[in-house]
Amino acid sequence: MEECDTNLIATEVAEILLFPGLTFFVWIAFLFDWLDRKTSARMQSRVGPLMAGPSGILQPVADFFKLTSKEEIVPEFADKFIFFLGPPLFFAAPAIGIIFIPVLGTTATVSNEYDLLFVLFIVAFSALMAAFLGYAAAGRWSTIAMGRLIVQYTGYEIPLILALIAPAILAHSLSITGIVQSQTWIWYILYAPLSFIVFIVSALAELEKPPFDIPSAKTEIVGGWMTEFSGRPLAYIKLTKNLSYAFLSALAVSLFLGGPLGPILTPDPTMQAALYFIYFVVKLFAVGFLIFVIRTALARIKIDQAVRFFWMIITPLSLIQLAVIMLAWWK
Amino acid sequence: MPTLDPFVIAGPILVVVADIIVYIAVGKLGKKSSGTGGKYQPFTGGEEQIPARGTYQSELFVFAALFMVVEAFALILAGSFASPTNFYPLLFLAGGGGIILVVTWWLIMVGGMRY
Repeated sequence: MEECDTNLIATEVAEILLFPGLTFFVWIAFLFDWLDRKTSARMQSRVGPLMAGPSGILQPVADFFKLTSKEEIVPEFADKFIFFLGPPLFFAAPAIGIIFIPVLGTTATVSNEYDLLFVLFIVAFSALMAAFLGYAAAGRWSTIAMGRLIVQYTGYEIPLILALIAPAILAHSLSITGIVQSQTWIWYILYAPLSFIVFIVSALAELEKPPFDIPSAKTEIVGGWMTEFSGRPLAYIKLTKNLSYAFLSALAVSLFLGGPLGPILTPDPTMQAALYFIYFVVKLFAVGFLIFVIRTALARIKIDQAVRFFWMIITPLSLIQLAVIMLAWWK
Repeated sequence: MPTLDPFVIAGPILVVVADIIVYIAVGKLGKKSSGTGGKYQPFTGGEEQIPARGTYQSELFVFAALFMVVEAFALILAGSFASPTNFYPLLFLAGGGGIILVVTWWLIMVGGMRY
C-alpha cells in the first residue's frame, strides 16, 4: 500500500517537473522561439536561424546557454535582492500555470475547482514581477519601460479576464479541467469567437509582442525593462517570455479549442493518451503560429493608442460577447 | 466537505523550488560581478550621466501601479472563498492588505515615486 502511494507521488512529481509539465513546456518554449524567428524571417524575406541544429532549430537553446555563461553584471544602484530573486520568480509564473493545463487527457496533472482564478492571478503576477524587475534595475530606460508596462497592463487586463470568463460561464465551471471536459461536443470558440479574438489580442499585449511591444521597444528605449540585465538573469527572462508564449497559447487551446479533445477516440488508453497529446500539440502550434504571423505583420503603436484601443474597442467587444452569452443562456 | 488534492499546493511549491535550484545551478556557468564604477552604472546610451533612477510624477502611473497590485490580490482573495471556513479569506485579507502597504511604501519611499 505504502509502495503504491510512493509510486503515485513519484508519478505525479514526474508529471509536474518532466512530462507533460515543466521540462516539456520549456522545450515547447524553445521551439516557439525558433518558429517565431523562422516565421518572421520568412515573412521579411530573410533566412532566420540556420547554424545550430537542422534549420537552426537548436539556436534558442544555444542562445540560452551562451547567455548563462556570460558575465552577470549587477548594477551599482539596483535593488540587489529583487535583481537576484526576480528572474526565477518571474519564470515561476508561467511554469506554475502550465501544470493546470490538460495535455495527455481531459484532466490536468493538478486541478482544482477554482484553478482558472489562480491562473488569472498568475498572469497578473507575471506582469507585476516584470514591473518590479524593471524598477529594481534602477536604470533610465528600464524605469520608463516599467511605466509603459504598467499603463499597458491597465488596458489589457480587464478584457483578458472578461475573455477568460466567457468559457467559464459556458461550462459553468471555474476549473480549466472542467472547461475542457465540457467541450466534448463543441469548442467554445464557436460560441464565443469574440472572446477568443480578445484573448489573442490581450495575449499579444501580455507577451509584449507587436503591435504592443511598447514596454520593450528596441528602437526607442534600448532593451526596455530588461536593459540592465545580463548573463543568467537575461537568459531566464527571455526563456520566461517564451514560456509565457507557450502557456498563453496552451490556455487558449484549453479554453476555446477543446484542449486535447479530438475527433477520433480509441478504447486503448495508451493510444488515446497519444492521440490527446497529438491533438493538443497541433492546436498549440496553430495558436502559436497565429500569434507569430500577427506579430510579424503589424507595426508598433504608441502607448496612448494601445490603451485607447483596449478601452474603446477591445473591452466593449468582450462585454458584448459576455452579454450575448448571458442572453443566449438565459432561462 | 470537498477534498483538496495535496498537489494543488505542493505542485506550485515544487515548481518554484526546482526553478530556484536550477537558477542557482545555472549561475555556476557564468561569472557574477558587482561593484562601483562605469561598468556598473545604468546604461545611458552615450548621453551624459543621468540620475540612477528616474522618478515618476504621474497620477495615472501611481493609480496604474496600485491597480496592478490590488487586482492580483483580489484574484487570490476571490479564490480563497472556496475554502470551507473563514480562515483563508481572513488570512489572505490580512496578508494581501499588508502586501499592498509594503508595495506602496516601496514604490513611494524606495522607488522615488511621487504623487
